[in-house]
Amino acid sequence: MYEFNLAGLLPYTGPLPRAIVLTLWLSTLSILLSVAVGVLGALCRTSTSLILRWIGGAYVEVLRNIPLLVVIYLIFFGLAQVGLRVDGFNSALIALTLNAGAYMTEIFRGGLTAIPRGQYEAARSQGMTGYQLYRYVVFPQVFRIIYAPLGNLMIGIVIGSSLASVIGVEEVTTWMRRAGDETFRYMESFLAVGVIYVVLAQTINIGRIVTGRWLLSRAPIGHRR
Amino acid sequence: MSPQVAAYWYVFLKGVGITLWISWLALILGGVVGLVIGLLRIAPWAIVRWAAIVYIEVFRSVPPLVLFFGCFYGLSFAMKLDLSPFSAATIALTLTASALMAEVVRAGIESVTRGQWEAALSQGMTYPQVFRYVIWPQAIRVMLPPSVGVYISTLKDSSLASIIGYVELTKSGLLVRESTGISFEVLLIIAILYFIINYSISLVGTALERRFKYVH
Repeated sequence: MYEFNLAGLLPYTGPLPRAIVLTLWLSTLSILLSVAVGVLGALCRTSTSLILRWIGGAYVEVLRNIPLLVVIYLIFFGLAQVGLRVDGFNSALIALTLNAGAYMTEIFRGGLTAIPRGQYEAARSQGMTGYQLYRYVVFPQVFRIIYAPLGNLMIGIVIGSSLASVIGVEEVTTWMRRAGDETFRYMESFLAVGVIYVVLAQTINIGRIVTGRWLLSRAPIGHRR
Repeated sequence: MSPQVAAYWYVFLKGVGITLWISWLALILGGVVGLVIGLLRIAPWAIVRWAAIVYIEVFRSVPPLVLFFGCFYGLSFAMKLDLSPFSAATIALTLTASALMAEVVRAGIESVTRGQWEAALSQGMTYPQVFRYVIWPQAIRVMLPPSVGVYISTLKDSSLASIIGYVELTKSGLLVRESTGISFEVLLIIAILYFIINYSISLVGTALERRFKYVH
């Protein structure tokens, strides 16, 4: 009978904090970069130029339909053959950013197109400057639409960062495989890392719910529920 | 396409078939499990609801790669099951897909207003009857388009089965890459094949969405 023994992993916990930090660092960088890509993509997709709209649309469709793992392999192995050597961490970062950027583009586009044209015109005719228009009219409404999918996507990025383990980045999933290989305590290392990911994801999830409550409490009278 | 790679066309073709098969299998199994979990999620008893929420949140939060690893090595060692890569991949994909499907099912059923339950019950229908004849036909229309999204996501996750040595599309590509020594071209072909499959499915999804567009 299998003896469940979590203590068997104790000698291997030394590199774990570093691994968690690396997972967080990779995820945070990817989130920040993909927000930038998403804003740019959304501006392309809503632009008046047909070419920009087409490029934005093609980017979203291509990256949403290819598995992240294949994108990581393409950048890590594929580009190396063409002569561009990118190390493991940066390959994962680029792949995650490109992948999440496509979803970000769709989220931001959804937010931008939800504001009726009339509001821009009304704000302009009240004498608002461009900054005031976005700061007081557009952004508060857009944020209310996008915070929920944004939270889900952030969880998706943390989950996606686990794929960096296939190209040798020493993050949490790599630690799990190594600890399992060295102790044969695969079930224990799987459960331990599972708990770590659940905690990370639920922290984001709870943050999203709290933000949602706070936003609703600040909603204008007519929007209050 | 260079001739060395083109010579392996049947490997790619087989990979496409296996990827379609395992993701379809996982979608069906995940749909059945997800339907049960989704119904438990809106059950009248708080404990059952919470159990369903924990199930959904756990399998949405644990990366599929970690699940593949846990199912293949973890279960094999802990339960002395000696699972094949195929069984382990199917279990892992089903767990992820079922958590997504549970949310789709819940959204579908909750989209039908409470008043319809009350109206149907007050007509003397039993709970199963209300569900079968009133709620389900309306809920399924709301559920179909997002189910297509779950299928695409499951199909993409199935690429992770390559990690535990199951030869689907991604692993086929990696094998061809090893035997020909050509990386970029082979991986690009794999990417294009995934794109063609998933984009076609998403077009079907858009068509379904239009077909089932329904105003309450």
